[in-house]
Amino acid sequence: MDGNFISHLLSASLPPGFPFWGLALLAAFLGALCVVGFVSILALVSVWLERKIAGHIQARLGPMRTGGWHGWSQTLADAIKLLTKEDVILRGADPVLFRLAPALVMGSALAMFAVLPFAPGVQFADIDLGVYFLLAVASLTTIGVIMAGWGSNNKWSLYGAMREAAQATSYEIPLALSLIPPILHFGTFSLLSATEQQSGWGGMQWYIFSDAFWVAIPSFFLFFTAALAENKRAPFDLPESESELVAGFHTEYSGLRFAFFFLEEYAAMFAASAVATAYWLGGWNFPGMTFLSTGSLWLPILGALAFLLKAMFLVCVMIWIRWTLPRLRIDQVMTLGWKYLTPLALGIMVAAAGWEAWRASL
Amino acid sequence: MTSSAFSRWWRNLSDGVISTARGMRITLRTFLRKPVTVQYPDEKPDLGGRYRGIHYLEQDLCIYCDACAKACPVDCIEMDATRHGKELEWHAFTLDYNRCMLCELCVYPCPKDCIHQGEEYALVTEDREDMVRDLLTWKGLTEEQKQKVAEVEALKAQRAAGGGE
Repeated sequence: MDGNFISHLLSASLPPGFPFWGLALLAAFLGALCVVGFVSILALVSVWLERKIAGHIQARLGPMRTGGWHGWSQTLADAIKLLTKEDVILRGADPVLFRLAPALVMGSALAMFAVLPFAPGVQFADIDLGVYFLLAVASLTTIGVIMAGWGSNNKWSLYGAMREAAQATSYEIPLALSLIPPILHFGTFSLLSATEQQSGWGGMQWYIFSDAFWVAIPSFFLFFTAALAENKRAPFDLPESESELVAGFHTEYSGLRFAFFFLEEYAAMFAASAVATAYWLGGWNFPGMTFLSTGSLWLPILGALAFLLKAMFLVCVMIWIRWTLPRLRIDQVMTLGWKYLTPLALGIMVAAAGWEAWRASL
Repeated sequence: MTSSAFSRWWRNLSDGVISTARGMRITLRTFLRKPVTVQYPDEKPDLGGRYRGIHYLEQDLCIYCDACAKACPVDCIEMDATRHGKELEWHAFTLDYNRCMLCELCVYPCPKDCIHQGEEYALVTEDREDMVRDLLTWKGLTEEQKQKVAEVEALKAQRAAGGGE
């Protein structure tokens, strides 16, 4: 490991005698700031998109007034409102768990962004086990949610937390299994290396268009469905289910702590979409990229744009699904997870393994 | 037994996928359609032309006959004017919207067809007293009316003088 783009930039601008630990600390701090800023802006945009898409799906307009142009600053106004709200902690709540839960949830969501390859040369950390790190960190969110539900001293919250526990542990299996076909195809856990293997002038090297498309497409849909459930998005939003549990695990949260849960949802949606983009849809690769010279500054800029566009498209599909399907019952969620997605994921995994073995033997 | 369970499994799976795709097609179609929202204070909804909103009065046609006030079932119209021969000096023509139920019964008996109900419906006030609306566009005599009254008075005076001879 020789550092990321931030440490490269820093080492070029710092005086020569600067100690390495100082550089590492500074790079980590700046990187964290970048991630927090990026996630905040991302959540602002995604929440606005969610409201606009929800409106138009219901033949409405959505927010139109705040900020002038199509209510673009509605989310900003909401964020300011949340920041100025009173931070309520109930008398019976567990003081430690209640305070720790939003931090854990938010921290795990931010940590996911460390391994995402945004553009050539723009990645905070290229870990060899990148996608496993991502899955492991993503499941920390579940623990945070359970802590929130238990610490709130509220039966609705506890119900939400129990549902989250059941749902998240069930869907982590198909989620991880559906990642195995691309991992076998590219022979790597690193998102960066998988993305690099998909580069080509026309996009036909993307996993979903490759010769293994017949396992790529079903595994993509499986991953997407499991990621929906893992991120508590409708139709799997049982931990929240506002019509029965008020707001599920975050019923008792207000102000900034509530904002953390809100932010985490959109950050996790983007992270799941980004993993799908990196493994199936070619990551930052875009058609015609080979015509640019390798050192060109346009490559990271257009690459980041392509990556963001692909990931945001998947986020929009998640929003589209949310405003299409009604919420499932808990037993239906479990049935779908254990009886349908898990066997299908196992079958696809076996098919992908067979295909890759056959291709390797040629 | 096992084969039927397996075929049921496949049917459930394909049903789920197909119904999800159908639902998403429907929402996509609505998404692409023009929204029906009317941006209210900026644009007003089309009320269809026969809406019974707040009244307006064509004061120059009104003959102070009190027919609308008599027809009103809740007695909310009150009018006051002084007659100067054929000319009317208006003092008040009030409609109490605290009582008015916008039933349009005042519109039909009008012999001159001068009281109407318009498309304006937003009657918002902070004080109940403001709900009593004066429908007059002017009060007292206009210059034109004063002139006519003066002409008539002059003619009367002339006639009186002529009759005295």
